[in-house]
Amino acid sequence: MLLGDRETVLLRVEGLDVAYGQAKALHEVSIELKQGEMVFIVGRNGAGKTTLLKTIAGLMKPAAGSVVFMGEDVIGLPPEKVAQRGIAYVAQDKKVFSQLTVRDNLELAAFAAGMELEQALDIATTMYPDFKQRMHVKAGSLSGGQREILLIARALFISRRLLMIDEPTEGLASIVIEEIFRILVNTKQQKRSAIIVEQNLGIVKRLADRIYVMKEGRVIEVISDPSDTAATAELESLL
Amino acid sequence: MIQSLVYGLTIGAILYFFSIGLSITFGTMHIINFAHGMVYLLGVYFFITLLAAFKGMVPLAACGALLLGAPVAYLTERFVIRRLYGESLDYAMIATYALLLIGTDVVKFFWGTTPYPVTDPIGTSVHILGFGLPVYRILIIALAVLLFLGLNQLTKRSVAGKIVVAALEDKDGVRCLGINVDRYFSGVFVLGSLLAVLGGVLYAPISTAEPYMGYNILLIAFAVVVTGGMGSFTGTFVAAFAMGLVIAFTGRFWSQAADTMVFVVMTLVIIFRREGRTEG
Amino acid sequence: MLETYSLRSNAPWTAFKRLPVLAELVLIAAVFTALIPVLHVHRVNDYMIFCIFVLSFDLLYGYMGRLSFGQMLYLGTGAYVSAIFSIHVNGNPLLSLMAGLAGGTVTAALIGLIVSRLSEAPFALSNLAFNQVGFFLVGSTFQNITNGENGLSAAVESWGYLDFANEYVAYGFILCCFLLVFAGMRYLTASPFGVMIRSIKENEVRVRFLGFNVFWYKWITFVICGAIAGLAGSLYTLYVGFISPVFIHPLHNVDVIFACLIGGAGNLYGAIIGGFMFMGMKDILSNHLAQWEWMLGLILLSIVFWFRRGVTGLLASFARTPARVPRPRQMEERLEP
Repeated sequence: MLLGDRETVLLRVEGLDVAYGQAKALHEVSIELKQGEMVFIVGRNGAGKTTLLKTIAGLMKPAAGSVVFMGEDVIGLPPEKVAQRGIAYVAQDKKVFSQLTVRDNLELAAFAAGMELEQALDIATTMYPDFKQRMHVKAGSLSGGQREILLIARALFISRRLLMIDEPTEGLASIVIEEIFRILVNTKQQKRSAIIVEQNLGIVKRLADRIYVMKEGRVIEVISDPSDTAATAELESLL
Repeated sequence: MIQSLVYGLTIGAILYFFSIGLSITFGTMHIINFAHGMVYLLGVYFFITLLAAFKGMVPLAACGALLLGAPVAYLTERFVIRRLYGESLDYAMIATYALLLIGTDVVKFFWGTTPYPVTDPIGTSVHILGFGLPVYRILIIALAVLLFLGLNQLTKRSVAGKIVVAALEDKDGVRCLGINVDRYFSGVFVLGSLLAVLGGVLYAPISTAEPYMGYNILLIAFAVVVTGGMGSFTGTFVAAFAMGLVIAFTGRFWSQAADTMVFVVMTLVIIFRREGRTEG
Repeated sequence: MLETYSLRSNAPWTAFKRLPVLAELVLIAAVFTALIPVLHVHRVNDYMIFCIFVLSFDLLYGYMGRLSFGQMLYLGTGAYVSAIFSIHVNGNPLLSLMAGLAGGTVTAALIGLIVSRLSEAPFALSNLAFNQVGFFLVGSTFQNITNGENGLSAAVESWGYLDFANEYVAYGFILCCFLLVFAGMRYLTASPFGVMIRSIKENEVRVRFLGFNVFWYKWITFVICGAIAGLAGSLYTLYVGFISPVFIHPLHNVDVIFACLIGGAGNLYGAIIGGFMFMGMKDILSNHLAQWEWMLGLILLSIVFWFRRGVTGLLASFARTPARVPRPRQMEERLEP
């Protein structure tokens, strides 16, 4: 299942086993990501997609397996060390720092990434101009979609090398989904490497370089060519 | 009446100095820190000793007490709290209680068990509407309000303050940005301990120092923190002054019941706030 | 996991299982009696009463995982209620004992309504707060009844052969109470109820999702603990005959926490061993040192950092066979094709 030679492989997850107490959440999960690829992970609820991203981000410790990022094993690193290597993770729960303003949320991410604040704010407002009017609003008062965009903006500062987003469009109105889709298209054009968990197959098919299908803690299928309509049709039946 | 008010606000101010560290330590690290009482106690005794050594120069002695209190707080954080951090809350409570026991005995050993009275360093009173109000007490209240405003600005303006506010809400979220929150928590811990020492130093001249003072203020501060909401900056401020007034006005009518009334208030708050909290 | 929660009926074969408990009781009685020549009977009596108190705390903390900083309240309530009963109502020792037991039970039942809903920090702190209130009521508010800081002499009379002035009679009576409490706790912790409270310690949310009324179980346990502590308190009154606010002082909660931890929490023998160790330490150290509580502090710290399972845990790890099954090293296996 090697997709390329070692230099271009950014992230290689091999044989990952993760358990919550007695219950196993991941069984020997292996995925790979090359520099500049946008990979999607699909699967029903409870398939282990979130667990996989959390493990890569350092929020969970696997029982076995390896996560090699740029040739180095990152398992066992705390989340802040993982993030310092340029891996950003946007969790599923759309949890911003609600007590802080939008600007402060962006400032913390910029501070962590070592960016100039002005430059960071520029990036965020270019990405989503509505932030201009909302800079001094508490982030807790934003709508679900705006929060997700804020989280993605924060993650973009951090993700020099890899962006991971968990269900960016879940539970959002279609108008905001289009906004997020536009942002994802932009990131893809910038050749940023990304792993995205997503249920919306319309988005997946249009953006994916490769699709991993997960079920009950295992990767059951890898679709290397998302333009292959037969394969994606089968995907719909799986979800 | 006005004297009771001033007295209550003074107690409230001291409680605020003491409780804010306790509250933020719980909010960030989820640790009930009995050792807060130990640092407070040691700080006050350092102050008393230094005051004698510096021949009554209060500001110098206060600075000295803070300087000596800082390493005590740092060592507590580094070797006890950090080892238990994120683990069982019970063990953290027991370990910090053990520190309080040790601290109390250290004080008994070096300074004895007899209470030390310290005199009011300013000693003058201002007369407002015919009531004599000691300037020193008003100074303490003003400092507490300044501290509240200062902490507010710190959390709104400085990156470190914003990180702490964000971590109070979502620690993993901050870590996933690549920020090592534990470093900031250590800082907050030491700062909170120093504020407790400062409160003790300010309070010493209008009270007496005795080995169980750390334990006694800790009990009331727990009530403040539970009432104000653990980890809440504003809640702690309001609850501290409210409890101060409760103590002063209960004490006016029934002096022995003053401290106990605080727990009655806390219990009422627990009962009536039950909805929406972790039931069960 | 599920089937252990279901309530099993008392099958006839449980009659056989009672035999070892009986043997345990005989063993405990033998050990305590053998200690009389070594420690003197008055110490053994003191130690046994304290052990009853530790057992009550162990049920709450060791078995149900609720750390309370306020268990002294129930000890003190039991002691004061039985003393006041003996003075103002009747000097019969058994009635005084009943009164103290009832005092502890009723107080725990009322306070339990509030604190049983809490857990972790709020639980520990509100218990401490209630203890402080109780201390205040005894020490100041009801001074004319309790005699405040000066303490109170109970007026317990002898009743037939039951004369607490005779240390050996007292020994027999306290031992009986102790064995009764031990047997009761043994039965309770092995029963489905005991399984339930241990499950609450492990994962309360899961137990609640299984449809059990968690609050009820926690409340009942809290009341039982209060009752046993009240019993220990009234035994102090009967035996010592003089009580003071020391018996309800919140600062002494650390004694029982220490005893429970050093013996090994969640183990009835641990509670007994811990109770003995604490009382022994206190007797020896307070004779030689003016300040000895720092020793408690140091030992507590080392327990928390290195010996969380206490003395019984250490003994168990020595007794266990050292043969270890090597765990398969999955990471290495995976490297092979």
